[in-house]
This record gives sequence, structure tokens and C-alpha cells, in this order.
Amino acid sequence: MALFTMEEIRKSFTNGEVKEEILKGVNLSLSEGEITALVGASGSGKSTLLTIAAGLQPASDGRVLFEGKNLTKFSAEQVRKIRAEKFGFVFQFAHLVSFLTVEEQLMLMLDVAESKKNKREQKKEIHQILKLVGMDHRKNAYPSSLSGGEKQRVAIARAIIHKPKVLFADEPTASLDSKRSKDVMTLILNVTRTLNITTLMVTHDEEMLPFADHIIKMSDGQVLQS
Amino acid sequence: MKMAWKEMKKNKVRFLILGSIVFLVSLLTFMISGLANGLSQDNAALIKKLPEGKIYMTKEADQTYNLSSIDKNLQESILTKHPHASAFSIQMGFLNDFNGKQRSVAFVTSTDSKLFKNVTRGEVILDRSLEESGIKIGDTLTNNQLNGKLKVKGFVEESKFSHAPVAYINMKDYQEMYRVHDMQLLFIPGEGPKQEFAGLQSFSKNEFLQTISSYKAEQMSLNMIIWFLVAISGMLFAIFFYMMNVQKIGLYGILKAIGVKTMTLFQMMWTQMLFITVLAISISAVISQVFNMAAPKGVPFHLTLETTGLLSLVFLLIGFIGATFSGIQIKKVEPLQAIQQGEV
Repeated sequence: MALFTMEEIRKSFTNGEVKEEILKGVNLSLSEGEITALVGASGSGKSTLLTIAAGLQPASDGRVLFEGKNLTKFSAEQVRKIRAEKFGFVFQFAHLVSFLTVEEQLMLMLDVAESKKNKREQKKEIHQILKLVGMDHRKNAYPSSLSGGEKQRVAIARAIIHKPKVLFADEPTASLDSKRSKDVMTLILNVTRTLNITTLMVTHDEEMLPFADHIIKMSDGQVLQS
Repeated sequence: MKMAWKEMKKNKVRFLILGSIVFLVSLLTFMISGLANGLSQDNAALIKKLPEGKIYMTKEADQTYNLSSIDKNLQESILTKHPHASAFSIQMGFLNDFNGKQRSVAFVTSTDSKLFKNVTRGEVILDRSLEESGIKIGDTLTNNQLNGKLKVKGFVEESKFSHAPVAYINMKDYQEMYRVHDMQLLFIPGEGPKQEFAGLQSFSKNEFLQTISSYKAEQMSLNMIIWFLVAISGMLFAIFFYMMNVQKIGLYGILKAIGVKTMTLFQMMWTQMLFITVLAISISAVISQVFNMAAPKGVPFHLTLETTGLLSLVFLLIGFIGATFSGIQIKKVEPLQAIQQGEV
């Protein structure tokens, strides 16, 4: 059974008197522990689909089922709680908090996810995850002293520190060069495999596709092939 | 996770600037408040030092105390009925010292009462400020409208009226100087409801002070400055936090995206506001209290701890409102918008 399913998702915007349909009845399902890549040209609706899946914006129509529950019926607070506890996010840019050290970024995420562990256990966990992403030696550094690749590693660590069920990655390598992109994707692959995290990733970089278990191609708000 | 503290620690200069502005505005407010109270004391200590009670003057005087003239029979009947009450008069005038130097004073005379200094004919009790300007006990002072002389019997603390030191004189001397036989005012101590007397109008102490136009104008101007400063500090908070929030919209969006509650972001802002305000106000309160104790005698400065506390609370409240008002942006921030904006 799929962990995450999207059924007949539609999204439209009204621009003046013109109604623009971005998603035209998309169906999608994510299997546990696998990486699914959404590809397509700009404006195909892949990022919109990802943000609807992640609960960052509502669909105009359709259902989003996670662990059998219909998220479209949830209140904003319930969706926030799901995002905090069950989802992880990696964006095109790292979006780290400028005044927190690497270790504190992860501590913040554990607080947000309302981790029941005590401080000592939390620190131990942070140490393990930072080791996994190769950033343990920079745990006291602020984002301003990190390179682009290092920031993205920390962002990945922040996205998985609370052991989410689903990781949403929106163009996670778009701001990196080819070598760093591959490093980051290898890292995402490793950590999601290690922690059995289901991943939905948007990318336009074909070099990243070999890392995915499933590839869904989108065009004009519809799934062309999967 | 103490995000508020971490941000302040990392961005010291930014918060130091806000703290300095709050400190300067609150210090200015405390100082002006101290001066307002000091001037008020200088203007009305004679009345302010009276216990709670009601002051009566004739209705005909139309709230101008020196036009009031209370009928002797009415005065007697009231004083018989209220043994602690007192009739008194105030007139501005001059005293000449032994060098012929003229001193501006407020002459006060009263019926026998513990509320006012009573002296025998030919004697005067003066406010302490005149001792500081060279007059001593036993000195002989004169007045152009008085045939006899006035011998200084003693001094009293903080007894001023209309910015002039009070000179307590005997009723007979007063009557000779001002060619009047009736008293201007009646004071009945006590906190009970006001009593009606035919032809008399009653005032609380504060209401009476408001009938003195110079006092009213002076206090209104100073109070206006104080409340403007308080309002400005509130606006400063709103503007400063608004600017900070505009810069942090991306950050707030990301934090919201990963699941941080909007209330947590508000709490972060309130904590910062509270920390800055409490620190800045504490420093300015200490400085103004030190000035209160060390201010030169000639400077009319009087700042009580109650006033300082009250103004501090108002500052905190205004800061809270200002910061919260600017925080409406936090509520409006859409995570998606922040993600699409690029690196924060």
C-alpha cells in the first residue's frame, strides 16, 4: 500500500478574469522508502504539485492521502503539525537560520517536531546525523561561514533529524555545481535509504534522475508518463 | 530553543541601536516627568501638602481664588461645625531684606490650624529656600504696605506657591497689607463627599490647582511632552520591528514551512522587545533616580518611584502594542512565497 497518494489534484488561479489551470487532475502515489523524481519543463506544474503534497498550499480539488488520512480535510494547525513531525524539506536554497549554528539548526527542528528525547539524547542524535552528512566537524559554525554545498548538507540534516516519513526536495541541487550536485544527491539517497524515508523530489537536472526509483514526467499540468 | 536570545546575541549592533533609542527616549521622558513634577511642587507644594479634603471658595469668584471673599458669619459657622477646618488666604507680594533686596513671596495667613503655620503679629515663617538665599532666623524684613516689621521666626520645608516661597504671616498683618477682612478660602480635611454651603463652590485639591491658570498651562504643556514621548517610543518599536520583520519575512516563511508555529514567532519578537525595553528602562530609571537625589537645589526636579514605575509600565505596554502591531506581517507570511523568494 502506498504511504502517500494524490488523487485527481487540480489547482487553478484566477488572474483578473482569466482562470488559469496549473494542475489538471494529477494522480500520484509514493511507495515507502523510495525516491520519486518529478521532471518537466518550467511551468509544467511540478513544483506546484510538490507544494500541495507538502501541505504548503491547498489544492483546488482532489485528495491528498497520507497514512490513509485525507490531508485536504485537515485544519491549518493539523497540517502544520504533520509538516513539523512527519515531513522534511530541502529547498533549492538551504534557507538556514542565519543566527543559529549548525548544531542549533538541528536542535530547532527537534523542538519544532516536539521531540520527546532529552537534551543529551538530542545532542547524540544530532551528532549522528551530522556525521552521516559529513558536517560533524562544523557543528559550531554559522551559515555565513559555510560553502553552498555545506549549507545544503546542513539543510538535508535538518530535514531528516526528526526522522520524517516523507522528504520533499524542491530542486535541491539547482544552486550547486555538477560535482556538488552529485554529492548532495548521493547523500539524499544514502540518508533516505538508511532511515527508510520516502522522497518526492522536483528536478530539471537529468543527471540526477539515475538516483530516483521512479520518474514522473509532467507537462502542462498533467502526468505524461511514470 | 532560545531563538530570540540567539538572534540578539548574533546581531548585537542592531539590537543595541534599538536599545539605545529606547534608553534615550525613556530617559528624556523620566527627566521631563521629573521636571514637570518638580515645577508642580514649586507651583503648588502649599496645596499639595495639605491632607485629603475639600477647598471652598465663593461662587461669585468664578474659580479665581484671589477674587473670593468668604462671609465672616458663614466662615464662623463652618469652622464651628468642623473643628479641623481652616480658613486661609494667599496673596503674592514682596519682602525686603535688611539690604533692601526685594524677595518675591506668597503671603499666607490662616485661622488657628495645624495645617498652616501660625505666627503672632510682627513675625514670619518662611520657606527654607529663602534661608538658602541668605535670610536667617531673627532677621527683620519689611513690606511697603505694612507699617511694622516682620521678624523671621523660622523656616519650613517645601512650602511654595506659584513658584514663590511661602511667607506665613499673622492675620492682622495680612489684613493691614491687603486691606481685607474676609478670608479667601476654606479647607475642610477628610475624604467624605463634598458638602454644600450656600454661595460656596467646592474643589478637590487637584481641581483647585486646575483653577490656577499658570499651573494648568504649565502642567498641560509638560504632560503633553511626556505623552508625546511615550507615543513616539511606541511608534519607534512598531517601526523598528516592522523593518526587522520585513527583512526576516523569508526566514519566517521557511520557519513556518518546516512547522514552526506563528505564536512561537510572535513570542520570539515579544521576548526581544521585553528584554530591550526592561534593560533600557532600568538604566534610564536608575540614572533619573540618581539625578533626583543629586540634582542642584535650584533645579525643580521631583521624580517619585511610583511615577517611574508607572511610566515604565506604560513604556512596556506601548512597546508591546507597537511590536505586536508590526508583527501582523508575521501572520501574513506565506511559507511558499518565502521559498520562492530565494536564499534568505
